Amino acid sequence: MEENEPNAKIPYQRLPEWLKTKVPVGANYARIKSDLRGLNLHTVCEEARCPNIGDCWGGGEHKTATATIMLMGNECTRGCRFCSVKTNRTPKPLDSNEPENVAVAISKWGLDYVVLTSVDRDDIPDGGSEHFAKTIRLLKKKAPHILVECLTGDFRGDLDCVARVANSGLDVYAHNIETVESLTPYVRDHRATFRQSLKVLEHVKKIKPSLITKSSIMLGVGETDQEVMDAMKELRKIEVECVTLGQYMRPTKRHMKVYEYVTPEKFEYWKKVGDDLGFLYTASGPLVRSSYKAGEFFISSVLRKRQQELGVGSGISEIRE
Amino acid sequence: MRGVRVTINFITPEGDKKTIIANKGESIMDISHTHDDIELECACEGSLACSTCHVIVDPEYYKKLEEPTDEENDMLDLAFGLTETSRLGCQIVMEKDLDGITVTLPSATRNVQLKGSKLS
Repeated sequence: MEENEPNAKIPYQRLPEWLKTKVPVGANYARIKSDLRGLNLHTVCEEARCPNIGDCWGGGEHKTATATIMLMGNECTRGCRFCSVKTNRTPKPLDSNEPENVAVAISKWGLDYVVLTSVDRDDIPDGGSEHFAKTIRLLKKKAPHILVECLTGDFRGDLDCVARVANSGLDVYAHNIETVESLTPYVRDHRATFRQSLKVLEHVKKIKPSLITKSSIMLGVGETDQEVMDAMKELRKIEVECVTLGQYMRPTKRHMKVYEYVTPEKFEYWKKVGDDLGFLYTASGPLVRSSYKAGEFFISSVLRKRQQELGVGSGISEIRE
Repeated sequence: MRGVRVTINFITPEGDKKTIIANKGESIMDISHTHDDIELECACEGSLACSTCHVIVDPEYYKKLEEPTDEENDMLDLAFGLTETSRLGCQIVMEKDLDGITVTLPSATRNVQLKGSKLS
């Protein structure tokens, strides 16, 4: 491939063997799907076409199924080039039953770790932060033993909204930088910026130092090694504890092409880099995603250990309702 | 969907010309997605939340298009390589009077190769 040639086409990259996944089947998968539809809930697993869906919903080797519930509907106000979640400038109004429905569904599933995420709702004054926070509070009330990780948007940099979620009783606060600084304007929606995302994560740590913070980077969109290194260092500077790195996979033809399929060996390299930089946990692999279950297993052991050391339960003191 | 047929020419970023027979009522975004050899992203699927379907319209036909809305202009302002005859492909709907239109897919738009060499 020619470098620095303005009109050179990015050659079509064939999907490498290590990225081929099985078609999801099985009783657990079917049960989760029907529970979700019954309660009018959405998952990012389905909406963003995650390749791990069969694995996570099926229960994996630990026989613990997990799904990442996507709050506030399945229409996002933003249009990022890598994401197949539907975009709408004016999505449907929030379902006020959602916080309760989510809390009920999750407590039914008998999970011990759950991830909540959401679409961006730039159409709502508080970005949906109160709705999100309420969901966490209700869930913690119904099932205090469940560890809760939340993956939020940037709330357009409104740190009060960030604080609202950070103070709701969750255990891990995640917000994704998605890519390196120089590619952010090309890859993410125009409303998102690298620095704004760092500010979100920094603010969480500032107001609640005991909260574990986490971020994720997609590789294979044209970044250089130095840029990835710099991005990871920026995360460490603001004391982000967990980082995940995964391969960008083009969800549909309407989305940006894959620039490069990074090898499993290279992902191993980034794992070592993460460990050397001092992250508490680095999950790195082609199929790793922000809420990939391997991280949850480790984090839950870290959190439980912390709780034992502190002699407290998980988030019970945060419940206001 | 059969209907009134119109011709549209695409100039790819590499400079190749491709002529497509489309139906009246289809947008440039729709047309590109039913033709594998036309590569036009539409990250927000036509909801005016991005500028990835940015195309450059030939000046003769640009005049025939309806004025862009404020929402379209806001997104166009963010497009890389914006020109005087730029429009968003999701907003151009083929009509009989646009028969024979030529649109160019921008080369500098989001071509990450322009950034420089890849280290590895």
